[in-house]
Amino acid sequence: MSTASGAVPLGEDDAGWYLYGVVSAEEAPTRLDSWAAVDPRHEVGVLVEGPLAGVTSCVSLQEFDEAALPERLGDAAWLEQKIRAHEQVLEGVLENAPVVPCRFCTVYRSEEDLRRFLSERSDALAAALETVAGRVELGVKAFVDRDRFASGGALRNDSIRELADRVSGAQGGRAYLESRRLEQLVRDELARFSGEVGAELHARLRAAAEDGVQLSLQKPELSGREEEMLFNGAYLVEDRRRFEQGLEALAGEYRETGIELELTGPWPPYNFVPEELGRA
Amino acid sequence: MSSRDVAPYSSERHPAQLADVLERVLDKGIVIAGDIQINLLDIELLTVKIRLLIASADKAREMGIDWWQGDPFLHGRNGQSQLEERLRKLEEKAGLPTTPEEEES
Repeated sequence: MSTASGAVPLGEDDAGWYLYGVVSAEEAPTRLDSWAAVDPRHEVGVLVEGPLAGVTSCVSLQEFDEAALPERLGDAAWLEQKIRAHEQVLEGVLENAPVVPCRFCTVYRSEEDLRRFLSERSDALAAALETVAGRVELGVKAFVDRDRFASGGALRNDSIRELADRVSGAQGGRAYLESRRLEQLVRDELARFSGEVGAELHARLRAAAEDGVQLSLQKPELSGREEEMLFNGAYLVEDRRRFEQGLEALAGEYRETGIELELTGPWPPYNFVPEELGRA
Repeated sequence: MSSRDVAPYSSERHPAQLADVLERVLDKGIVIAGDIQINLLDIELLTVKIRLLIASADKAREMGIDWWQGDPFLHGRNGQSQLEERLRKLEEKAGLPTTPEEEES
């Protein structure tokens, strides 16, 4: 930042306190200087209040203003920079200590408000920390390649296999009609199989984890993959090696059907903290 | 097998796709209810918009979240006709004369 108006000192009137997450005071990170804050003019810091500590940095209240938020969210560059900063700070914390992550844009007007939150909700926060201590969130997604499914998993269905054999031997108009019918059967079979795979994956992954949730499926324009997503789950995992070995076994079982599994994380345990702590 | 697929066990971090980060940072994590939070976090606004964003790019675009418009995936003829279809539905709902409709088979 080169301009004189660029730097906003901590605690100045228009500065708010952005809260990334809460850790126990004992395990609060000490080396914070390498992390870029949501507002890069400010440094990430730790605010200790009793047995807890908030990982926080100052932001401009003009930038994080309710009225401007809808527009900000429509600004790809702004949104990506901010949410990546939020995520990266929490990932840094996660490497050293259990953390209860906050949702994007949790901002206090003053240090005093933030301290009051930490002290008034300390019981609920401590309980949330205990739930996630020693555990990480891992994400698992399954994708299916339709062509590979048509020549893989779909052929496990007897009538599809027979029809596929006939189509490969047929010619002319009949071949066309039968191949259209085959396509429809494969589509139906994929819909049925997807539900089955989702339930099976979730049950087996959940059994290797302490907790698990199924998330909304992402459309290709969000997932960044052309293949269709047929499963999206998040798991709270204590024994990461065991979980990943189980996942690898599942991936091996499903590979020839045209289904691929993708692992993400470890994430701060966004999906395994209470959405609302409630009032003090 | 690409590096994003499940590989033999390793302890390294798996790469974070923006969609996965969005899905979590915008829609999960604790939400602090009540008194002390700055009023900029209109929870309802955020959750509604972001659920739509995650659930359906089309709907999110209707609400003005359109930053992936540059994505060639959405720029084919198909995207255009979906847009026209939505416009027609909106016009019908509003009781307006509709945009001329192409014959549908």
